[in-house]
Amino acid sequence: MAARRALKAVLVDLNGTLHIEDSAVPGAQEALKRLRSAPLTVRFVTNTTKESKRDLLERLTQLGFDIAEHEIFTSLTAARNLLEQQQVRPLLLVDDKALPDFTGIGTDNPNAVVVGLAPEHFHYEMMNRAFRLILDGAPLIAIHKARYFKKKDGLCLGPGPFVTGLEYATDTKATVVGKPEKTFFLEALRGTGCAPEEAVMIGDDCRDDVGGAQQAGMRGILVRTGKYRPADEDKISPAPYLTCESFPEAVEHILKQML
Amino acid sequence: MAERGRGWARAVRGLLLDVSGVLYDSGADGGVPIAGSVEAVRRIKASGLKLQLCTNETQATRESFVRKLRALGFDIAVAQVTAPAPAACHLLRERGLRPHLLVHDDLVPEFAEIDKTNPNCVVLGDAAENFTYANLNEAFRLLIGMEKPVLISLGKGRYYKETDGLKLDVGAYMKALEYACDIQAEVVGKPSKRFFESALAELGVPPEQAIMIGDDIVNDVGGAQQCGMRALQVRTGKFRFPAAALAEMVPARDVAVAGACAASCAAAVDQGVLPSVCGSPARLKRPSDENHPEVKPDAYVNNLAEAVDIILQEL
Repeated sequence: MAARRALKAVLVDLNGTLHIEDSAVPGAQEALKRLRSAPLTVRFVTNTTKESKRDLLERLTQLGFDIAEHEIFTSLTAARNLLEQQQVRPLLLVDDKALPDFTGIGTDNPNAVVVGLAPEHFHYEMMNRAFRLILDGAPLIAIHKARYFKKKDGLCLGPGPFVTGLEYATDTKATVVGKPEKTFFLEALRGTGCAPEEAVMIGDDCRDDVGGAQQAGMRGILVRTGKYRPADEDKISPAPYLTCESFPEAVEHILKQML
Repeated sequence: MAERGRGWARAVRGLLLDVSGVLYDSGADGGVPIAGSVEAVRRIKASGLKLQLCTNETQATRESFVRKLRALGFDIAVAQVTAPAPAACHLLRERGLRPHLLVHDDLVPEFAEIDKTNPNCVVLGDAAENFTYANLNEAFRLLIGMEKPVLISLGKGRYYKETDGLKLDVGAYMKALEYACDIQAEVVGKPSKRFFESALAELGVPPEQAIMIGDDIVNDVGGAQQCGMRALQVRTGKFRFPAAALAEMVPARDVAVAGACAASCAAAVDQGVLPSVCGSPARLKRPSDENHPEVKPDAYVNNLAEAVDIILQEL
């Protein structure tokens, strides 16, 4: 086995790892403090199509986590970065709550399409508008491609089906910016001065968190909280670097074994 | 001018015509006939050639569709239209399927005789304004709740052209539901072989004596050729012009200048296929239907009128 470089950065998933909906994972706040006492850069990474960084920060602060806004990197941030790099003006099919993350991005006379989770925008007129732009060469950017999600009253279509329909109609491929895309993890590290080999990702989604991070060259730690189901760790190859009970146990391992 | 000589036009006894983009451009206002097409249909009938319309139109019953065509000046009878909804009804009866319909309001009467209680499949048509999130979600929930989901799609076209621009066709929504439920839809309509075969049966001519004329390179031309027919691509409707023709237009800043370009380009501008101002490099990225990677039409013709001219000369 190749010698590992010293660990310099830790990426942490939010919902399912630090907290579950509106309650913190037991001991997670304290564990985060201990993690911060080590010489490590910490970033919080999440796939979100609805919540802006500000909303996320508010919830985390209320739950007693010591986190700064610039430490949060979401799929919306990734989309914004891509728009800035390509210098395009998006038609934003995203939830109104996500709009603060796009403040300052010009949207007049759009020449790009961003699709998040926005049931109120997924109607005939708007889909046709997006379609025509893409057919005219506008890039299609997907926050993620989830097939569906669960609401109290049942399953609901996610952004993936609508992205897929637009891809088919225009014979193009969307650029997916969220986890588990390799570029998502690399972008999250940008500005930290760390290489992927010097980073570890902690999350509850075996494919999207652990598998994605490991594909990007990081190590991945799977926690058995949130959406974790028994035998999830067998779903990816190579297997997770480590599987442990919860975020505090992952932090213990990092502090004792990885520094 | 049609390429590759005129061998393709010989020994013809019947024509299958696509409708939208060949006879007329559809639109909220009822649409407008494509120049020369009304006269071309009249000439086909006068020549004694058999004629059948083969359409994926699912925004109206055949009866009201034919009324609309007649109002535009096309002398067509209901029996001369092969359309997906009647074919789907046949299939539903054959297999004892009870559909949940996600279709255009005006198509619903086609399914009047079909049992729709306690649905065990979803039938998807070009529902237009009915393609709302709520309606798609309802169809999705039904499908995902079935032990073996059955999705029947009336065609799988990507898009079509209306007088006010290009519109997503049923195929985009079919793909959305396929992806959401991880299933494969069954397509009734072009380019399905079975559908072309039923159109040929109604035409009463074997495939080698029939020519299909359409504006959709994959669903019309490719589908018909799969059935052993010859097929012509018209440069009307949703046909996309080659980049070379577009490149000539790049310096053009307005329609007047564009008018000096190649005749086909100017026609394209008139039809709204090409922008009147084409300075955007993005435009040039659009693939063209001339030199399609998979489908080679037996010939390209500018429009139905030109095709009929050549075919009648060869009779």
